[in-house]
Amino acid sequence: MTVASLCGPTCGAPLFLHVLGATLLFGALLAVTTLGFASMRVVEHGPLLRRLAFTIMLAGVWPSYILMRVGAQWVLSREGLDENTPGWVGVGFLVSDAGIVVLLVLTLLGWLGRRRPRVSTWFAGLAAVYLVALGVAVFAMSAKPG
Amino acid sequence: MSKYDWLLFLHVIGAFLLIGGSVTAAALNLSALRRERPSEIALLLGLTRVAVFAIYGGVLLTIVFGLWLVSASPFGYGYGDAWVIAALVLWVYSNAAGGIGGKREDETRKLAERLTAEGDVPSAQLNARLRDPVTLALEYSSGLAIVVILVLMIWKPGA
Repeated sequence: MTVASLCGPTCGAPLFLHVLGATLLFGALLAVTTLGFASMRVVEHGPLLRRLAFTIMLAGVWPSYILMRVGAQWVLSREGLDENTPGWVGVGFLVSDAGIVVLLVLTLLGWLGRRRPRVSTWFAGLAAVYLVALGVAVFAMSAKPG
Repeated sequence: MSKYDWLLFLHVIGAFLLIGGSVTAAALNLSALRRERPSEIALLLGLTRVAVFAIYGGVLLTIVFGLWLVSASPFGYGYGDAWVIAALVLWVYSNAAGGIGGKREDETRKLAERLTAEGDVPSAQLNARLRDPVTLALEYSSGLAIVVILVLMIWKPGA
């Protein structure tokens, strides 16, 4: 049973915001990861790529994260899932709420990386790990194992 | 997990790759628009290849498992439903417009690489190509079509 089918047509707006935010977050994080790894390979343009990655963190990743999280909470409270939380929602909570810490660390690394190129390795690596974590959350949200 | 759950997961992961790849490509293109040096523009447009791989994967997964989902769905969806037909038409448009826009963008990248080899001096021709209204219209309308598909997938009007 999907969230959409649980919610019915009344769940449209919150579910749309949640899914739109999640897909935008995935895309913005993919851009940040790409720029992070590219800054290590194309050394002469490294400063530009690291600056762009930091800008996309602030202008793309954070706003889409907020959109995703607000949409998720709206769906949960509307459907009463926050009182009787299924396991697959727990996976979503884990990835999104622990994600705040990851995104804060990424933002700090992105800021530091503008002047310290060596930080890029950690920045790109952590961004890639969170991208995989988002993939796991997508699996939990869509397939709803268990 | 049922067959339907697996199909839904593969369809949704395809949607994430398609929309995520489009967002990545848009972010890199917008970044290129703000640069002057051909070497920087060539680099940023070249990086969109990563996004293109994600988009190709998403295009394939969404259509294959989307069509399969319609027939496997326990909710009585059919290929004749208006929201399914509208989504398919928009999917075709989005791919066509995105593909043509992407080819035009690739020509811009090649021009930027040529100008890089010739001294890496800012060029009015390159700036004009980057802001070509036809290319921008094709790419933005392709992105808009994807968002409308997402709206149809969530609300399923008429289902």
